[in-house]
Amino acid sequence: MTEQSSFRSLIHGFLESAERFSDRPALVVDGECLSYTSLREMACRIASAIQSLQRDQESFPLVAVWAHRSKTAYAGVLGSLGTGKGYVPLNPKFPLERTLQMLALSRCTVLIVGKECLSQLAGLLKAVDRPLTLILPEVASIQEMPSQHSLHQFVFAEHLPSLESFSFKENSTSASLAYLLFTSGSSGVPKGVPISQGNVRSYVDYISHRYNVNEHDRFSQQFDLTFDLSAHDMFVCWESGACLYCVPEKSVMAPAKFIRDHHLTMWFSVPSVAGLLSRMRLLSPGCFPTLRCSLFCGEPFPASYAQSWQAAAPNSIVENLYGPTEATIAIAHYRWDSQMSPQECLNGIVPIGQVFEGQQFRVTDAEGKCLPFENAGELCLAGSQVATGYWNNPKKTQQQFVHLPWSNNHLWYRTGDLVKQDAAGNLCYLGRMDHQVKIRGYRVELQEIEAVLRRACGTEQVVSVPWPVHNGAAEGVVAFISGVKAFDEHRVLARCGEFLPDYMVPKKIYLVDALPLNPNQKIDRVKLSNLLEGAA
Amino acid sequence: MKPVVEQELVQQVIGWVKENGLNGARHTDISESTNLLESGLLDSFAFVDLILFIENFTQKKLDLLDVNPEEFTVVKGLCTLALRNGH
Repeated sequence: MTEQSSFRSLIHGFLESAERFSDRPALVVDGECLSYTSLREMACRIASAIQSLQRDQESFPLVAVWAHRSKTAYAGVLGSLGTGKGYVPLNPKFPLERTLQMLALSRCTVLIVGKECLSQLAGLLKAVDRPLTLILPEVASIQEMPSQHSLHQFVFAEHLPSLESFSFKENSTSASLAYLLFTSGSSGVPKGVPISQGNVRSYVDYISHRYNVNEHDRFSQQFDLTFDLSAHDMFVCWESGACLYCVPEKSVMAPAKFIRDHHLTMWFSVPSVAGLLSRMRLLSPGCFPTLRCSLFCGEPFPASYAQSWQAAAPNSIVENLYGPTEATIAIAHYRWDSQMSPQECLNGIVPIGQVFEGQQFRVTDAEGKCLPFENAGELCLAGSQVATGYWNNPKKTQQQFVHLPWSNNHLWYRTGDLVKQDAAGNLCYLGRMDHQVKIRGYRVELQEIEAVLRRACGTEQVVSVPWPVHNGAAEGVVAFISGVKAFDEHRVLARCGEFLPDYMVPKKIYLVDALPLNPNQKIDRVKLSNLLEGAA
Repeated sequence: MKPVVEQELVQQVIGWVKENGLNGARHTDISESTNLLESGLLDSFAFVDLILFIENFTQKKLDLLDVNPEEFTVVKGLCTLALRNGH
């Protein structure tokens, strides 16, 4: 049997559920419930539109989806996959400049647009100088749009092809792209991480089996699609015929009522959400009796949050998942045990535990040599979940995806995460080896913030520091600048907001006479953090 | 101690947000119908700090477990809840 015929693509998993559970709910979004049949039909019409319009670009592997917590967002993802193409999620909450950057870097020419992005659409189209095909599945014809933007082609709701004219392509191979995500890049330009169908398939199979997911499960969908953890929600859910509950924007911060109202059984979020709920006293003991599986990922998981969540969800397992985008969603797990785990935490942080069965890891020194047990070093990953490089970025690929001297032919991803393995065999996260931080679970390169600040302030002397940090997790960033006599903080912050997502915009900028240096003549970030600590 | 009336609490909350809010809160018009999160004046962490401020001011605990977020993220809704639900 060829790989093509034996490989089970992501769309295949969805279609099989749509066949088996046609009338069961697949998606609850924006107050509407879509059955598997309804969602399949909408995805099918989008896929048909992509295919009919793209005959000349059949080989280009990606379609952009610019939509947010709407039917179009989810049907757009499935529609893209249904044509054998991967999807590039774009986020209307991001500044337009950043969306344009991602669109240009991905080189997509087909863009699926949600109605929630209409107010930004004219601005985007004015700034794009190559022809795009825009598919707007929930928008009726806007007469003036095609004449005002004659470079581009538009497919409005009433122009979507009928169902009879299309059948899904299920010929994706393991190497076909599933999605391309952009993470913060140290050079000031977002970094593309292409994840293959095979990468996601390995993850979905492992997780579905581990948590025994079934058609009666009700999944949370808390993450924006630009956050790779959203791929877990969608594909693990639809693989088993379960229902996905999109948490409305207004409930993202405090989803307790949403969990209770919809009797969710599967929860997945960054630990910060647990922290917030705890601080708002919304984690009262037993308040989430329907949850059977609570997963946290994206940043260090404080033991106190795990304890509070376990008490709130007494019928649920609580697990800490770990994984960089390059290793597809998550690649290690640790199950919280109220009796044993407090002793296994390091610095009050829950271990990241064991790497998934079938995937490989090593803890190495700076030269890539394996370190003895219980020594701290860089975590390197290999296996079927690990990507093979960055999108059109050979230099960065060469730096991070390496052949280690002792390893035959395996491509290892150097995570830049500092870990050590404890006596019980659990990996414990110690911190980053570079200037990358996590803010509310989002990966942030401080250098990217600093690149924008330099342009906005007109000085090279800028530095950003994660602040405040509670329980090992950063809540935001503040900046220090020097080399200018005065500056307009309000204007600089507004400028940052034009290029950076809100979680990367500094909360405050301090003007100092000189940036402190450490003995190696590097900017002393620790001293700056201590200054902030003292001021607080 | 004199009970806190809603309008007084509304003014206290607006004052707190102007002092501690983000994105130029000091220079922003804030009314009782302002949504503090959607407007970007507060992020989720600052919102928790605001709740603690309100509880300290009213000397009552806020219970938000079964309250819709669109109710408690608006200045007036939050103040009404603080005086109604608290104990």
